[in-house]
Amino acid sequence: MADIVLQGFLVGGLYALVALGFVLIFKSSQVLNLAYGEMIAILSYFLYFLLDSLEFPLGVAILLMFVAGAGLGFLVERSFIRPLVGQPFLALLMMTLMLMFLFKGIMVLIWGGESYSFTFAPEGMYELGGVSILPSALWAFAAAIFVFLLLAFLFRYTKIGLAMRVVAADHAVSQSLGIKVKRIFSLSWVISGVFAAVCGILLGLVTMITPTMGDIGLGKGLVVLLLGGMTSIPGALVGGLILGLAEALGGYYWTDLREIIPWILMLFILIVRPWGMFGERRIERI
Amino acid sequence: MLPCGTFNTRPEEDLAIVRTKTQWFLIVVGLVFFVTLGLFSPEDWVVWLILLGITAIAVLGLHILTGLCGQFSMGQAAFMAVGAYTAAVFGSRYGLSPWATLPLAGIFAGLVGLLFGTPALRIKGFYLVMSTIAAQFIIIWILREWDTVTGGVFGMAVPAIKIGGEKLSDVQFWWLTLGLLVVMIILAKNIQRTATGRRFVAVRDNDLAAEVIGVNLFRTKLVAFFIGCFFAGIAGWLWAHFYTHISPEQFTFKDSLWFLGMIIVGGMGSTTGAVFGATLIRLTDKMVDYISPLLSDAFPSIGVQVFPALSLIIFALVVIFFIMIEPRGLYHRFQRLRLYYQLHPFSY
Repeated sequence: MADIVLQGFLVGGLYALVALGFVLIFKSSQVLNLAYGEMIAILSYFLYFLLDSLEFPLGVAILLMFVAGAGLGFLVERSFIRPLVGQPFLALLMMTLMLMFLFKGIMVLIWGGESYSFTFAPEGMYELGGVSILPSALWAFAAAIFVFLLLAFLFRYTKIGLAMRVVAADHAVSQSLGIKVKRIFSLSWVISGVFAAVCGILLGLVTMITPTMGDIGLGKGLVVLLLGGMTSIPGALVGGLILGLAEALGGYYWTDLREIIPWILMLFILIVRPWGMFGERRIERI
Repeated sequence: MLPCGTFNTRPEEDLAIVRTKTQWFLIVVGLVFFVTLGLFSPEDWVVWLILLGITAIAVLGLHILTGLCGQFSMGQAAFMAVGAYTAAVFGSRYGLSPWATLPLAGIFAGLVGLLFGTPALRIKGFYLVMSTIAAQFIIIWILREWDTVTGGVFGMAVPAIKIGGEKLSDVQFWWLTLGLLVVMIILAKNIQRTATGRRFVAVRDNDLAAEVIGVNLFRTKLVAFFIGCFFAGIAGWLWAHFYTHISPEQFTFKDSLWFLGMIIVGGMGSTTGAVFGATLIRLTDKMVDYISPLLSDAFPSIGVQVFPALSLIIFALVVIFFIMIEPRGLYHRFQRLRLYYQLHPFSY
């Protein structure tokens, strides 16, 4: 039983990591980036390509991947999101959905339906209280905590974080306060691109690089986001852990139930507490 | 807009959908064209036409739910699956004739739609979208797991439609699809003109104001869900009888999003637009059929994956184009073109 719970927590950390990418964009620009999962997947493939086909050393490849992530975020914001500023929320939602298709198509076009795995994955197993766990899963969990702390710090203590929150609240007000709305948008997308790269490495280590790995964005990240409340950073972490635990336990009792648990949890939270566990109570805005 | 010099002098004229002789002429010519199209098209195009008809019916349902009532649904394919499975279960397990399962398919899909529309009591907009995504995955999961009734992963066979002991050929099936499509278009057009349809539009435009003038928000949304899913169920009935074998994998989340993309391309809130959107997207998808062999010959290294990848990319690009350049859709462009020719020598 202990191993089930532990596994659940570790997977939950991964979900939280994905959800934090959603929170960052949503908190700063009120855009729900449904293409985030595919961004993770495409960056993961890109890293594999750098390592395997071009044979870059690991450090350089990861650095290049971060740069590519930042570039991807910037490009997406500049060419697809910015023209829609001021449009209804659902137009932006459709746009990111279509970007999801676009990325998936490009990914399939370049790398086909093949699955790969990173060769630099650490060997062996860790022992933790009599339970053996994958080292990369532990790393992913640690990374989730780190990103969580980073984001919390960014939004609470830095000027940029404050500016992001103002921009999310009202474009006109922030513009008149001297905050450059467009620059904040670009910045938050660049940061989320880098986050996607981090997610890409860890996800590729824990699972494999498959064409369907991007589904984690919509299938898990979004659920966690709703569970925790759309704008809440601690909510994403707690929601991720809850989802991971629920999946592990549900899968333990009835294997087939596992894939449906996120959706049941989501429906439940939508009916009982639509603004999530830690969210702000103003759902009528959307 | 009516041509110059056409005045409505009697109430019946004001009510008529088809008003002038030219419109009647065009409709009759169009119908004759589409009926005979099945006879002269190559086989794969007949299949394409049937698929188009099925898609158009599902998209019409989505048009009522999303275009008129403003409730985005990302689970239309799952409601289609409910219709298809209703037809299959009642047809093969209880031996009902296809004609008896046609209304049942619609009603069952509608009822399931009602079930997943109930969160509308508390939530709206984006949150409701999320609950329809949940509907998509939960419905397909139930269809896959409940294998004593639905045959599980392997799906189930559907008895074919027979007329006089003969199975329908593809061309005959196209006529059936066309007939149903015409009926559904008339239905959709008329729903738009009833008090219920006007309530839908009121809810879409401003739900607060609608409630203040006495529209029961919850009931209106539920009715919209029922009607939208009813259409999906009919589409599912056609799908089941066309393929005569259905499985949960045929009704994916991707299909639901394609339906949504189609009404965006066609233009929200018009029946013609829904049909336009379905046609354009299906047409581009068919083009990919022709382009991808050429591309895979030219670049053999990516030969296998060209078709699925290209179909995704082109669909995404078309919808992105419409969201950015013409959010009012194809129908708006069409209307402007028509107006231009109607008024030709003058610009107003």
